[in-house]
Amino acid sequence: MPNAEHPHKWGMVIDLDKCTGCQACVVACQAENNIPINTKDYFLQRRAYEWIRIERYWEGEYPNIKARFMPVLCQHCENAPCEPVCPVYATYHNEEGLNVQVYNRCVGTRYCINNCPYQVRMFNYWHPNWPARLENQLNPDVTVRTRGITEKCTFCVQRIRRGEIEVEARGGQRLNDERIAGGNYDPACVQACPTNALMFGDLEDQGTAIKPYFDDVNAHPGHGEHDRETRGYRLLEEMNTRPSVIYLKKIDQYPLKGGH
Amino acid sequence: MAIAGLVVTAIVAFILVVLFISWFSNPPFGWGNAPAQPIGFPHTVHAGSVEEGGHAIQCEFCHRNVTSGAAATVPAVEVCVICHKQVNGSNVTTDAVAPETLINIQRVLDKHAEERPIDWERVHRVPDHVRFVHEAHIRFLTQGEERTVTLPIGDEKPMNLPVTTAEACSVCHGDVAHMEEVQPQDGQSLKMGTCLDCHRENNVSTDCTICHK
Repeated sequence: MPNAEHPHKWGMVIDLDKCTGCQACVVACQAENNIPINTKDYFLQRRAYEWIRIERYWEGEYPNIKARFMPVLCQHCENAPCEPVCPVYATYHNEEGLNVQVYNRCVGTRYCINNCPYQVRMFNYWHPNWPARLENQLNPDVTVRTRGITEKCTFCVQRIRRGEIEVEARGGQRLNDERIAGGNYDPACVQACPTNALMFGDLEDQGTAIKPYFDDVNAHPGHGEHDRETRGYRLLEEMNTRPSVIYLKKIDQYPLKGGH
Repeated sequence: MAIAGLVVTAIVAFILVVLFISWFSNPPFGWGNAPAQPIGFPHTVHAGSVEEGGHAIQCEFCHRNVTSGAAATVPAVEVCVICHKQVNGSNVTTDAVAPETLINIQRVLDKHAEERPIDWERVHRVPDHVRFVHEAHIRFLTQGEERTVTLPIGDEKPMNLPVTTAEACSVCHGDVAHMEEVQPQDGQSLKMGTCLDCHRENNVSTDCTICHK
C-alpha cells in the first residue's frame, strides 16, 4: 500500500551510452502490458501501439555514418501537458509522481495525444486482437484496453503495487532500489534491458542510484545545461514539462570524421 | 399531441427500465441470484460447524491462495478427491445421506478420472479492469494490534480486529458456512463506492492505480 505520509516519487534514468537499440524493452513492454500485436498494416497507417519505442536517428552521410538510438516512453512529466486538456479527468498526476491514465473514464477525445510533445500516448483504433493461443499469455494484472480509448506507459504500476504489497507482507519495509531489483518489481523494460541502460528508482529514497542525476539536472535547469556534472538531460527541456525520465548523453569514443 | 406524449413517455420508460436492469441485475452488485452450479456443492456440509452437521473445513484449505495472493482460487478437482477418495458411494450408504449427494460426489470423481476441471460458475465477480488482492485484505483483518473498526459493508457493526480468517472472508462474502448455495448478501455490494468507503474509513490510499492498472 502506498505510504500516505511519505509517498514514493518514481523516476527513470536512461543511459544512451549503453543503449544498443536491441528492442528488448519494446518486446518486454508488449508482453507485460497486453499490447496488441502490431501488424504491417498498423505500421503503414502509423497507428502502431508501442508504449516504449526505439527512435532511430542517422548521423552523417553514407559511408561515414552512424546510427543513434533512443528509447522513448511516457516521461511522466511533473507539468504534464496531457493532463489539463482532458475533459473527463481521465489522466491525472498521482502523489507518487506517476501520470495515470484511467481507462474507464477515457472517452477518446485524443486531446492528450495531440498535446503530448513526446508522442507517447497511443489511441486504440481497433478492438484488441490476439491470435487465439496468445490470449493465454495475457497478463492478468493489466487491463485489456478496449477500442476508442487512450493508453500509455504506466511505469508498470502493477509491478510497483505488487512490490509494495509483498514487501509490506514481509515486515512493513519500504520499497527501495535493492528490494525492487530483488523482487523483480522493476518495469518490464528495465528488467529486460540487456545492457542495463534503463534504471528505475524512488527519488524520495536518498540511497537510490538515479538521484544524483536528477539532483544535477534540477540544479542546472534550462540554460545552465553546460554546468552539469553528469551527462543528464531531459527531452525537450525548454518546454518545462519536467519529465521524471532523464537521459544520459552518449559519449562518442570514435566520432565521425569531420564532426557532425 | 396525445400520441407524441405517449411516445415520449414510452421512450423515457424504456430508458429507465434499461438503466434499472443494468444497474441492479448482476449478482454481486444487485438483486439477481447467482447462476446455478454444475455440481451442487453445499458449503454448509463442508465449512459448517461440527455441531450443525458440517465438517468445519477452513476456507483456506480449499481456497488455498487466499492468504498468499491476489486471487482466492477455486480448488483443483484433486483437492476434492483428497477426501472424496474415501467419502463416496463405495463407503457411504444412502441411509446416511441423500441419494443426490452420492450422485454429486460421483460426478466429482468422474471429472477427476477424466482429468477435466469442473466448470464452476463464478458468483463474486469484480469487473475485468479491477484488481482485488485478497491477501492484503485478509492480512488487514487478521493481523496487527487489537483495534475496533466499523466497516461500511455488511451489517456495519463495530468489529474487534484481528479476527479469524473465516470471519475475515465473511465480511464481504457473507456467512458462506451457512449457505447451501453461495449467494451475494444484502449490504455486501461489490460496487466501487463500497471499496472507496472502506478505504477512506481506514486511511488507505484511494489512488486509482491501487485497483485499476
